[in-house]
Amino acid sequence: MSQLTQAISEVQERLGSLQDEIERLKRYVEALEEENIRLKRELCAVPEQETNRVIANAERLQGVGRENLMKLYREGFHVCHLHFGQPLEDGDCLFCRAFLRRD
Amino acid sequence: MKTHCSKDALLTGVNTVQKAVSGKNVEPDLQSIFLRAEAGKLIFLATDMEIGIRCEVPAETETEGTLLLPAKLFSDIVRKLPDTQITLESQAESANLEYYQSQIFLKGYDPEQFPLLPDLLDPVSFSLPSESFKTMIRETLIAAAQEESRPIFKGLLLEMEGSVLRLIATDTHRLAYSQSGIDNPNGLDFSGIVPSKTMSEIYRLLKDDDDSITVRFTGSHVSFQFGAVHLLTRLIEGQFPNYKQVIPSSCRTKIRLLVKDLMESVERASLLARESSAGVSLVRLEISGDLLKIEHTTDIGKISEQLSIEKEGADITISFNSRFILDVLRVLPSDQMRFELSGPQSAAIIRTPADENYLYLLLPVRTN
Repeated sequence: MSQLTQAISEVQERLGSLQDEIERLKRYVEALEEENIRLKRELCAVPEQETNRVIANAERLQGVGRENLMKLYREGFHVCHLHFGQPLEDGDCLFCRAFLRRD
Repeated sequence: MKTHCSKDALLTGVNTVQKAVSGKNVEPDLQSIFLRAEAGKLIFLATDMEIGIRCEVPAETETEGTLLLPAKLFSDIVRKLPDTQITLESQAESANLEYYQSQIFLKGYDPEQFPLLPDLLDPVSFSLPSESFKTMIRETLIAAAQEESRPIFKGLLLEMEGSVLRLIATDTHRLAYSQSGIDNPNGLDFSGIVPSKTMSEIYRLLKDDDDSITVRFTGSHVSFQFGAVHLLTRLIEGQFPNYKQVIPSSCRTKIRLLVKDLMESVERASLLARESSAGVSLVRLEISGDLLKIEHTTDIGKISEQLSIEKEGADITISFNSRFILDVLRVLPSDQMRFELSGPQSAAIIRTPADENYLYLLLPVRTN
């Protein structure tokens, strides 16, 4: 009987030890996850100056694109999606004009 | 088959279906008119596989049956028949026409070869007064492209949204838009591009005494039924461009004037208009104060006219293709018109003062 009691005590002790180990691991995982999020943020963060540079560049490209489309249209080619690149025949196109007005 | 009907009834039948007879197809059954005699009526059918027209005329039928006859010859014969009762009888695949003590024997084809018009499966339908629809066609058909590589511009967009039915046509240089209120208790929506040939036929065939027209549609076909006529057509595949984005929402100059005055002046000016290198006949409009000056100088002469107008906004000088202006002036259902202008290179709108359901948008011609 005493052997059985001792065996149960040993099992109980090991279970307690495992429980402690699990708790320790849980805290460790939480710490790793927080660290991961922080590192991701740092990695993806773009300085405001860089953001402004990208926006300015996009606007410049858009302006250049619009100028190119205007030039293409003035030279007598469609810029609307219906006939893009085809020669303008019989005068202006309503859809090119609307597209350039909106752009 | 044996049936008796008047020459007028036969003539009505062939005249109604003749535009659906294929002019190009070499298949004899598509260059033919199909006839079916039933109790109390004779049915005419023709199709070029894009459009099909069916028409019924009154007849006294002794024996039911069918015939398939060469369209051109049969139509020519019917036109030359005396104005009397005609007996039409089939003899195998041929037809025998009898009147007075005379008869014409005409060889035909096997009626079984004729491609009968398909019935629309589960169509959705609505009706509207035929007069409204005829007006809408008249006002918009003018802007559909005649020669265009993209088929969508050779059709009219028929669009039903809520209680509004719209017809829109454009050749990309101008756009005509007409709308009408309809009863749509079931909240049906529909949008399809109907070939301008079909619309032109409906306009031709709609009679003043046709009260209403019933439109049935599926995803690929639409049919129109009015009086004794049933017209079925295939819809043009493709996406009609976003027409709403090209209609200006404001303008800088508005003028009101009489349609007849402007039409006659532009007609006179276009007589002298020199054909430009692009083959466009231009007319220059100079709006200043309460006057519209129409001027044109060519190698062979000069024309200068002035019309009284009511004006709101800035003075402006602008040039248009005279044909584009005349096309709309000839269909405007009003004595007066309104011209809305936004600048010498911006699209202009023509409307009638009392009707907000119609507008005609046209681009000016750039001049140096």
